[in-house]
Amino acid sequence: MSVETAGRAEASRLAAASLIRQPLLVALILIVLLLALGEMLSPGFASPQQILRLLIVAALLGIVAAGQNLVILGGREGIDLSVGGIVSLSAIIAGNVMNGSDGGILPAILACVAAGALFGTFNGVGVTLLRIPPLVMTLGMLGVLQGLLVVIRQGVPSGRAAPALSEFVTRPFLLGLPGIIWLWVLIGLLMAFLLRRTVFGYRVYAIGSNEQAALLAGVPVRLIRVSLFTLSGAFAGLAGLCLIGYAGTSFANVGELYMLPSIIAVVLGGTPLSGGKGGYTGTMAGAVLLVILQSILTTINIEESGRQVIFGLTLLVLMLFYGRGRAMRA
Amino acid sequence: MANLTIRGARKAYGATVALSRGDFDLKEGEVHVLIGSNGSGKSTLCKIVSGSVRPDAGEVLIDGKPVSIDGPRAARALGIATFYQELSLAAHRTVAENIGLPELPGKGGIFVDRARLNAIAERHISRFADVAGEGFSADTRVEHLREDQRQLVEIMKALATEAPILIFDEPTSSLDRAQVERFFEILRELKAEGRAIVFISHRMDEIFSVGDRVTVIRDGETVGTSQISETNPANIIRQMVGETELAVTEGAPPATVEAKAEAVLSVAGLSGKGFAGVSFEVRRGEILGFGGLHGQGQSAVLRSIFGVSPAAAGSIRINREERAIRSPREAIRCGLAYVSGDRGRDGVVHGRPILENVTPIHFLRNRLSLVRPGSLRERAAKPLSALKTRFAGYEQPVNALSGGNQQKIVIARWLIDRPDVLLLDDPTKGIDLQAKADLFALIRSLAAEGMGIVLYSSEDAELLANADRILVFNSGSVSRELTGADRTRYNLYHAAYEAA
Amino acid sequence: MSAVETRSSSRSGLGALVERFPFLPALVILVALLALNGWFQPNSLGFRAITGLISTYLALMMLAVAQTYVVYAGDVDLSVGAILSLVNCVIIVLMERWGGGGVAVLGAIAIGILTGLACGLLNGIVVAVLRLQAIVATFATSIFFTGLALYVLPVAGTPAPTVYWRTYGGRFFEIPFVFYVVVALAIILAIAVRARLTTQMLAVGDDPFKAFQSGLPVTAIRLKGYVLCGVFSALAALCITGDTASGDPLVGGAMTLYSVAAVVLGGTALSGGRGSVVGSVLGALIIGLINSLVFYVGTPSQWQNLVQGLAILLALMLGVLVTRRVRP
Repeated sequence: MSVETAGRAEASRLAAASLIRQPLLVALILIVLLLALGEMLSPGFASPQQILRLLIVAALLGIVAAGQNLVILGGREGIDLSVGGIVSLSAIIAGNVMNGSDGGILPAILACVAAGALFGTFNGVGVTLLRIPPLVMTLGMLGVLQGLLVVIRQGVPSGRAAPALSEFVTRPFLLGLPGIIWLWVLIGLLMAFLLRRTVFGYRVYAIGSNEQAALLAGVPVRLIRVSLFTLSGAFAGLAGLCLIGYAGTSFANVGELYMLPSIIAVVLGGTPLSGGKGGYTGTMAGAVLLVILQSILTTINIEESGRQVIFGLTLLVLMLFYGRGRAMRA
Repeated sequence: MANLTIRGARKAYGATVALSRGDFDLKEGEVHVLIGSNGSGKSTLCKIVSGSVRPDAGEVLIDGKPVSIDGPRAARALGIATFYQELSLAAHRTVAENIGLPELPGKGGIFVDRARLNAIAERHISRFADVAGEGFSADTRVEHLREDQRQLVEIMKALATEAPILIFDEPTSSLDRAQVERFFEILRELKAEGRAIVFISHRMDEIFSVGDRVTVIRDGETVGTSQISETNPANIIRQMVGETELAVTEGAPPATVEAKAEAVLSVAGLSGKGFAGVSFEVRRGEILGFGGLHGQGQSAVLRSIFGVSPAAAGSIRINREERAIRSPREAIRCGLAYVSGDRGRDGVVHGRPILENVTPIHFLRNRLSLVRPGSLRERAAKPLSALKTRFAGYEQPVNALSGGNQQKIVIARWLIDRPDVLLLDDPTKGIDLQAKADLFALIRSLAAEGMGIVLYSSEDAELLANADRILVFNSGSVSRELTGADRTRYNLYHAAYEAA
Repeated sequence: MSAVETRSSSRSGLGALVERFPFLPALVILVALLALNGWFQPNSLGFRAITGLISTYLALMMLAVAQTYVVYAGDVDLSVGAILSLVNCVIIVLMERWGGGGVAVLGAIAIGILTGLACGLLNGIVVAVLRLQAIVATFATSIFFTGLALYVLPVAGTPAPTVYWRTYGGRFFEIPFVFYVVVALAIILAIAVRARLTTQMLAVGDDPFKAFQSGLPVTAIRLKGYVLCGVFSALAALCITGDTASGDPLVGGAMTLYSVAAVVLGGTALSGGRGSVVGSVLGALIIGLINSLVFYVGTPSQWQNLVQGLAILLALMLGVLVTRRVRP
C-alpha cells in the first residue's frame, strides 16, 4: 500500500488547506466577491449608502453573535438557542421603557442588558450546576421567553423607540458612520481585548479546548461557563434595544430571525461548534457575509422560494470551506 | 491461515514521528511478541495493520501479496482482528452486543438474530466463566463492568471474529493471574489451529510464557527479531532501552536526604476510591517515589491530595498546617503542583499557543486579571530554558511540538511561581529519552532548592535512579517502604508482586 | 491484582429498570399529567378527548420518532419541520392536481414519502459523508427545504381532498382511524427495536471512533439514520395534513424544536448511544398533555404560553436530573 505517489497532490492540498485555515481571509475575500456580484446584478448595490445599510443590519446580528461566540468558544457543546427570545423580549422592554422619549434611553439600556443577563444566568446555572445539555436548557428557555412575550404584549402597546436612539442607529454620527457601527467596532475591540488580553479570555479558550486540563490548572470552570451564558444574554439584550432603534417599534418574535443566523455567523467566522478556537473578528466578517448574501438574494428578481433555495445551498457550500469534521482514519 | 509482512511503515502526526521505520513479519501458527517502551510506536504499527491509522509510507503484504488496508472494515475482510489497548467497546451496549458488534448476526435481512448472538457470546463467555468475577453475564451493560472485565469483553470480541490474524495490543494490563492464564491457554489453542497472533505486553514473564518470537521496537524503529528460546530478559531490555537509557538509569543511587529536614507534606490515613489507609511524609529536598505495578492506587492518591476527587477520610498537612482540599484550585493555593503523565487528557490545552499553555497557574497564584504578554514571556522563559524546551515562539500552537516538549511546557507552567510540593503522576509516559533526562535533572535541582517531590513512575528504572525513598503500592495500600541500600530492582519487584 | 477498583454493582433495582426501559421516567410524568388532566377536567380522559389529543399530536409523535433515529447516533436534525412542511405541500398539490380521488391520494402519499426519503438522504450526505456540523448543516438544508415548499405551494390554504381528512378524522368499526395509525406505529417501532441498524446506530452514538475501529460502516449507518428520519418526517406530514386538512409551506417551522424537546423528555441522551423511540412518543404526548392541562386549569389565555414554556422547561430539567440520579 504505497502512498508515496500521493505526495504531490498532498502538498497542493495542504497549501489550499492552509489558506482555508484563515477563515477571516476567506470571509473577507467572499465579501468583496459578493459585493462585486451584487453590483453586477443590480447597479448601486455596492454604493456607499447601501453598504452602510448592510453594515447596520450586520451590526445587529453581530452583537447577538458576540454572545453566541463566547458560549460556543467555551466548549462542552455550548450553544445558546434562547438569544432569539431574549432579543424579542428586550425589544419590547426597550419600547415600553422609552416610549418615544429620549429620557428613557438610559433606563432602557439598563433594563435590557439586565434582563438579558438574568435569563443568560439562568441558562448558565442550568447548564453547569444541573448539568443540563446547553441545547436542551436554552431550548426550554426559548419556550419560556416566547410565553413571556405573549404575556407582556397583551393589552400594552409595544412601545416606541426614543428619537435619539433611532438616530443613533440609522443616522451618521461620526465620520459619516452611524453610532451603531461605532458601537459594533467598540464591541469588536472589547471582545478582542477580552479574549486576548485578559485572564478570563485565556480561561475561556482553556475550558473550551480541554476542560479537564483547565480544571487541573485551577481554572474556575463553572464560574467561567455561567458568565459566558450571562454575557450571551446581555449581548442579546443590547441587540434587542438596538433593534427597536432600527425598526422604530417592536413586532412579534422579531428576535427569532437572529437565533440560528447568529450561530451561522460564528461558524462562518471560523469558530467551530466544538469550541476552544476561533475569535470574534472572524464572526464579525461572518455576520457581514451572511447579511450581504441575504441582501443579494432580495435584490435579484426571483420568487421567495428561489431565494431560500439558493440561500440554503450557498450556506452548505460555504460550510464546506470551514466546519468539516475530522475523518475517522487519521 | 495467513502470513503477514509489514515493510517500512511510517507515520507522523505533525512534528511528532510516531513510527519511523516499522518492519515486522508474522507467520501462521506463532505468537509473535512486540515489545518496546511507552510511545515507541507499537500501537501505531498495530493500528496501521488494523486499518484505523493511515500510514505515510510503507507496505503490508498478506501471504506475499501487497494489500491495501484502507479502514478497519478492509482489515476485517482480510482476516485481521484487533484488541485495542484503549478498548473499542460501546459502554451502553450489553456484553453480548459488544462481542457480536463487528458482525452482528442477522435474520431475515434486517433483524438481529438474538439467539445466535447470545450463542456466540455464551460460547466465549463460558471459557472465562470461572475467572471473570461476579456481575459478568451476556446481558450486562459494559458500563457496569470493572476494567479487567472490559478487557475480557474486548478479548472475546476479537476472538469472536474467528479471524486468522489476531492482534492483541496490551490485552493483559488489568487482568489478574487466573484471567491471564486462561487467556494464554486459548492463545495456545489458536496457535495450534494455525492462527497468526501478535501479542503486546510489558510483562517479561508473560512474554516468555506464551511467545514464540519477539520483535523489539525503539523510538519508532524496529530494532530486531529473535526466537524467544534464544534470548533472555536482559537481552531484550538492552535492545529496548538502547545505550543512552542505561547511562541515565543506572547512575549512582541518589543520596538519602537528612532526616532532620522539615516535612513539607504529610498525609495520614488517607482513604478514598481505589486506596485505603495511606500515610507518608515528604521532607523538603526529598524525592519520594511511588512504586508497584500499574494501577495500584498511586495515581488515585496523588489526584486525591490534589483535590481532583477528594478523599473520604484522612488528613493532609502542608507545611505542618492541616488543609481540607476540595478542588485543584484550593490545592494550587496551598502550594501544591500536579503533573499528569496523560498530558493529552490532563495537561495540554490543545490547539492553543504555548503562551496560553504555560501561564494558567501564574494567573491563579497572583490573582491576575489582565494579560501582559511581554512580562509573561519573560517569566516563562526561565523554567522553559531550565527544562531545555525547544520551541519556535510563544505564539506557536502547542500541538506542533513533540510529545516531550509538550510535557515540558505543561511542567513549566508550575514552575513560574515555585510550589512547595510537586506531585508527579507518571510524568514521563511516552516522551523521548532526552526529554526524560532533562526532566529528571531539573527535578533533582528543584529538590536541592528545597521543594518536596512525590514521583510516581511506572518505569522501575526511573524510580530507582531518582527516588530517595520508595513506597511500594499494592492493592491501594503501601505494602513496603524501600530506603537506602534496600532500593534495588529485586526488592521493588518482590514487594510489587507479593500479594498479586 | 485489580481488586482495587471498587465495583459499581450497587445499582438500585430502579436504576436497572430505567436502564432497561429508558422511557420509564417519561411514563411516570405522562401518567401524572393524565391524572392532573382528569382532576381538573374529568371529560379530558374521555374517549373523545383522547382521540382529539392523539389526532392533534400524532404528527409530533412521528416527528419525535424521526428525530430519535438521528439522535441515537449522536446527531441532530434541525430540518425535520421543514421536511414536514415540504411533504405537506407536495401531497396537497399532487392530490389536487390528480383530482383528489382515492388513487390520487395513494399516489401522492407515495411521492410524499419518497420526498421525505430524498430530504433525509441529502441531510445524511451533508452531515455523515461531507462531515459538516449537524446543527448548522441541517439548519442550512431546512432553509433549502422551506424554499422548495414555497415553490411547490407559495401560499397556505389549498385544502386537502375530502376523502383524505374524512379518513384521518373518521372511524372504522367504531374505532377512530388514528388509533389504527398508533397501533401500526407501535408495530413498526417494535420491529425497529430488533433491527440490526438500531443496535449499530446506538453503538455509533456511544463512540463513533470506537465503532469505526470495531469495523462498523459508521458513515453508512449515520446516513441511514438520516434517511429514516426523513421518512418518519414524511409520515408526520401525512398526519398533519389529515389534522389541518390543508397545505401550508411553513406549518412545520415551530415543530422542529418541539421534536428535540420530545426526544429529551423521553429519556434519550442527545449525546447519543442510549434512549428509546417509545420514550420520544411519550415525550410528544407529554408536550400535548402539558398544553391541554394549562388550558384545563383555567390559565388566562395570555399566560398560557408562559406556563406551558415553564412546565416544559421544568419537565426537561426533571427528566435529565432523574435519569442521571437513578443511573449515574
